[in-house]
Amino acid sequence: MSSSAAPAAREQSRPHASMLPAAAFYIVFFALPTLCLFVLSFWTADGFQLIPGFTLGNYEKIFTSPLYRALMIRTIGVAFVTTAIVVPIAFAVSFLMRFVFERRGQFILQMVLLSLFSGYLVRIYAWRTILGKQGLLNSTLQWLGVIREPLDFLIYSNFAVVVTLSGLLLPLAVLPLYSAMLNIGRDDIEAARDLGAGRLHVLRTVLLPMAMPGVRTAFAFSFLLSAGDFVTPSLVGGAQSLLIGNIISDQFRGIGSNWPLGAAMAFVVIAVMLASYLIVMRLIRWVTTW
Amino acid sequence: MGDDMVRLRKLLPAAFVGAVLAYLYAPIAVIVIFSFTTSPRLSMPIEGLTLDWYTSALSNSLISTALRNSLLLASVSALVSGVIGAAFAFGLVALKRPRLRASLLGASMLPAIMPLLVIGIALAVFFRLMHVQQGLLNAAIGHVLVSLPFVVLTMNARLETFDFSVLEAARDLGATPGRVLRDITLPLIRPSIIGAALLAAALSLDEFVVTWFNIGSQLTVPVLVWGLMRRGIDPSINAIATMLLALLVCLVAASALLNRKKSK
Repeated sequence: MSSSAAPAAREQSRPHASMLPAAAFYIVFFALPTLCLFVLSFWTADGFQLIPGFTLGNYEKIFTSPLYRALMIRTIGVAFVTTAIVVPIAFAVSFLMRFVFERRGQFILQMVLLSLFSGYLVRIYAWRTILGKQGLLNSTLQWLGVIREPLDFLIYSNFAVVVTLSGLLLPLAVLPLYSAMLNIGRDDIEAARDLGAGRLHVLRTVLLPMAMPGVRTAFAFSFLLSAGDFVTPSLVGGAQSLLIGNIISDQFRGIGSNWPLGAAMAFVVIAVMLASYLIVMRLIRWVTTW
Repeated sequence: MGDDMVRLRKLLPAAFVGAVLAYLYAPIAVIVIFSFTTSPRLSMPIEGLTLDWYTSALSNSLISTALRNSLLLASVSALVSGVIGAAFAFGLVALKRPRLRASLLGASMLPAIMPLLVIGIALAVFFRLMHVQQGLLNAAIGHVLVSLPFVVLTMNARLETFDFSVLEAARDLGATPGRVLRDITLPLIRPSIIGAALLAAALSLDEFVVTWFNIGSQLTVPVLVWGLMRRGIDPSINAIATMLLALLVCLVAASALLNRKKSK
């Protein structure tokens, strides 16, 4: 921060200097490791030994293996369903907080955000105890006499994975959507209503386009983060609902691990998710401008 | 009939938001409640209340090691990401060019959009190629990286209302840059920095994924809890989780209070 430069130059350089430590940290511990991971995806492994080189073998293995293809498709499916639940709910909650609850909206926002910091592992584990075969939901329903046999689709299923992931990601999606709503004035909505626009029309032509930056961020959050989660499927998912993240993490911490193959998988997931994200954003833009 | 419609229209939003909050808080409530019940299985009806799970959790010899490591990591990430994140945000809001400011803010958010799994394995690869053994230091770096975007984001929001003309006035009156920082800037933004640092501490206490790939054979509270969870249903998990929750809620509440004071 301290500089002995001339006053004129100081205006320009001072802010930049204070940004240096964090910028250096990002470059060394985020950009560089991501680059290392990319380079590693072209290497090979022999046991625990990493062998430098340049081969597309890892990528070839991923694209030709039916197992990886199936996992990738399931991962995209789960991420899509989760996002399709999370973003509309978060949109509605943000809208209500901004335009219906007003003052109390701040309190609701605090409550939503607080849940974000209330134990990642704990919340996943809690869903296992709620949805389990002898868990809270089944035992309550049996106790009340609603069902005789426990419902077994509740746990170790894609259903359990989606329910748990949606709960984890909802607060993260509310954050950008609420701040996008803050940029929309009550006048914008009323003007459209006065001109005779119906509710759906206002949503499509005023709310959605104006909240678009928030929608985009919320979508990215829930789509990318649900695709990368391996803890949820391993705690509440069964053998039939493992996601690509489980296989990737096994390549790094499992028996018979293969780091270069895991690195290649990570980049394939990111690429596929980014492509799907761009396609969906295109679609939403098409709907709102048409 | 008309009255009923009006009442319904008022009730519906409240019911919806209530349902969403219930969805978010049901898991947390379940863990807290069942950390006090006698039946080892989490099922209805509740038979009786006990503190046994807390005693058995606290008598687990690994918990003190895990807790010590977790608190150490939380302090390091609070300190490091609090300081460098605040400095970054301070430079960010002082930038004159809005386009550059927006893109730098966006770039600093990247670790928050990247799946933690990818951040975790990328760091593990990086350290392995640098021949650094896995351990607490690696985990600490991961924690700083994970909390940095949130520190920058909250500090950026706080500082947008910061009056930079005060600093210019001080400089015009002949204060040295060091003096301006110590006597004016820091006292003004200190509550926000502490608030952001507490948030970083909370994120670090709760961090599991990046830790898991980088900590080697060491333990933190989430790593220990993960081990217990993998082994099956152990009611002492509920007790440990409830204690962790209490700690997290205190940190986040303190952080929110500090930030509110600043923005009065």
